[in-house]
Amino acid sequence: MSRPEITIGFVRLSDAAPLAAAVKHRTFDKYELNIALKRFSSWASMRDALGTGAITAAHMLAPMVVASAAHLGPFPGQFTTGFIFNLNGNAITVSTALFDEIQSHAPGHMQTLPMTASGVKTISGARREKGLPPLVFAHVFPHSMHAYELRYWLGAAGIDPEKDVQLVVIPPSQMVNALTRGEIDGYCVGEPWNCVAVTSGVGKTLITSSEIWSNSPEKALAVRTEWAKQNHDTHIVLISALIEAAAWVDQPDNRLQAAKLVASPDMIDVPLEDVLGSLTGSNRQTGGRLRIDIPDFNVFHRYAANFPWHSHAKWILSQMIRWGDAPMNMDVDKVSVAAFRPDIYREAAHGLGIACPNTNEKREGSHSHAWLMTDATKPIAFGPDRFIDGRIFDPNEVLEYVKGFQIRYAGSTRLGDSDRLQAVTRA
Amino acid sequence: MPPSTVSPSDEAPLRVLIIDEDLERAKLVKEGLLDDAVVQMATQMHGRGLLDLISNWHPDVIIMECNSPDRDTIESLRQVAQTNPKPIVMFVEKDGRGFMQDAIEAGVSAYVIDGLTPSRVRPLIDTAIARFKHIDGLKAELRQTKEDLAARKVIERAKGLLMERQGIKEAEAFRTMRDMSQRQGKPLKDIAENIISVLDMLETRSAPETKE
Repeated sequence: MSRPEITIGFVRLSDAAPLAAAVKHRTFDKYELNIALKRFSSWASMRDALGTGAITAAHMLAPMVVASAAHLGPFPGQFTTGFIFNLNGNAITVSTALFDEIQSHAPGHMQTLPMTASGVKTISGARREKGLPPLVFAHVFPHSMHAYELRYWLGAAGIDPEKDVQLVVIPPSQMVNALTRGEIDGYCVGEPWNCVAVTSGVGKTLITSSEIWSNSPEKALAVRTEWAKQNHDTHIVLISALIEAAAWVDQPDNRLQAAKLVASPDMIDVPLEDVLGSLTGSNRQTGGRLRIDIPDFNVFHRYAANFPWHSHAKWILSQMIRWGDAPMNMDVDKVSVAAFRPDIYREAAHGLGIACPNTNEKREGSHSHAWLMTDATKPIAFGPDRFIDGRIFDPNEVLEYVKGFQIRYAGSTRLGDSDRLQAVTRA
Repeated sequence: MPPSTVSPSDEAPLRVLIIDEDLERAKLVKEGLLDDAVVQMATQMHGRGLLDLISNWHPDVIIMECNSPDRDTIESLRQVAQTNPKPIVMFVEKDGRGFMQDAIEAGVSAYVIDGLTPSRVRPLIDTAIARFKHIDGLKAELRQTKEDLAARKVIERAKGLLMERQGIKEAEAFRTMRDMSQRQGKPLKDIAENIISVLDMLETRSAPETKE
């Protein structure tokens, strides 16, 4: 049976490795899928292409899917996902100049790992006293884990990202240039763009996203909700092929090969050494000075990584509310169910005989070490899910959780008129 | 299209920011705008530099290539309510299937220049701005309607509370509120909100006593 061509969009980042692997190993062919990949240079243009049907699916920032389900921004209520590509994979890097400044003025803040932003707070406060402009940090898109991880890290150290520093959006591939030119002092981005800054001596990686919230969701297979409804079988087959590809990439023995595939000119087009640290997790910089192995820097399949947890969608919503990107009365239950579809994932996983959790939510942050989930079709090994500040996220108490943060958006919301009017709120 | 809908005011020329790495194409767009517009070109500017330029230079419209990496930076502008939204005109390489047209219908603040020739630039920009204003107007209208509806709910609730607590008729409750509104020079909705919060507070205070 031949199926119509499906185009999957992606942006130049190393966690697109499962797509590269599926093409190389003819996994899509095995599932009788006719797949083409299309590279985009901005998240917004890929979102527009998905929303208008120019592409069928996208390797998309998980919060962009949640934002659509929440009716924020263009294409309200139109995207959904039944497959998470990976967990973790981002890092925060600062300029060598800022690192040196922290080291000389606040050496005490560099003693422990994971490294908090308290050193940044000291420098930021000193700058304000001297009447200097605030430090500038960049991330890649307003609705992104990068934005929420960066804000979380700053907030956990008592830095108000709205007042104490300036946040700007810069495309991933421009980050290193902006850091070199001194336009920004630091950024949160996916790979290879942290490794490139470290290798070229321009920046120092202070912390990885796996240390801010261990095993947090990153990219999702975004499709149009309407397409998923009308092409259910194809959707299941597509997810099955991607589970197989992700499981292959996840094997430590395959990571070097995966790095070669994703570094190629038709994927992200960078030298192999720039993506090695991302995919192998070995010899990675953190804390600005240390080099350590972080095997979970990118998780593609283990720990039920591909399962779209409602509690993950709700955490993303909690941060949208916290920072004024969503209204306080957002209907988080309704939105998380529309955004993340564990039922679709389960159907594909069952077909492959892969174990699935029996629940759709878990208390995030309650495991500081590896643990075994027994409430599943077969017991599943999980990695830790702790937050850098030790908080626990109860998906049944989203608003309480938001109110528990001392540092959050001061007003009710900073949404524009159209978003405020169309957001999915409780009656 | 009446000319008054085209530029922000009749006297000031249109301020156009062109963001494009392709200098030749940027020049082509500029050529189409000549006489009646002030044009700023950003060909090697990204991120913070671009944002600073926009906040200092106040363009009326931004023109950019649709797959430009700078789109996410520009997109982040719409996130911030205090920043005035700007119409964004995007040009794409020939798009046979008209997907970008759909994108615009779906609410992406943009218009397409398809098959770029100087003579087509100005009319397309004018249309884009007019359309942007039209949508903005619709949104404002919708907002007003929603706010009116919300106000009516609050007023109804305050009226109900007054009738219940004071044992008065509906007409009298409404008259009381209207008089307060006129005396204090505050909108009826604010008066209604005050009444609700005061009565709620009295209720919570008196609640433990009634239990005893």
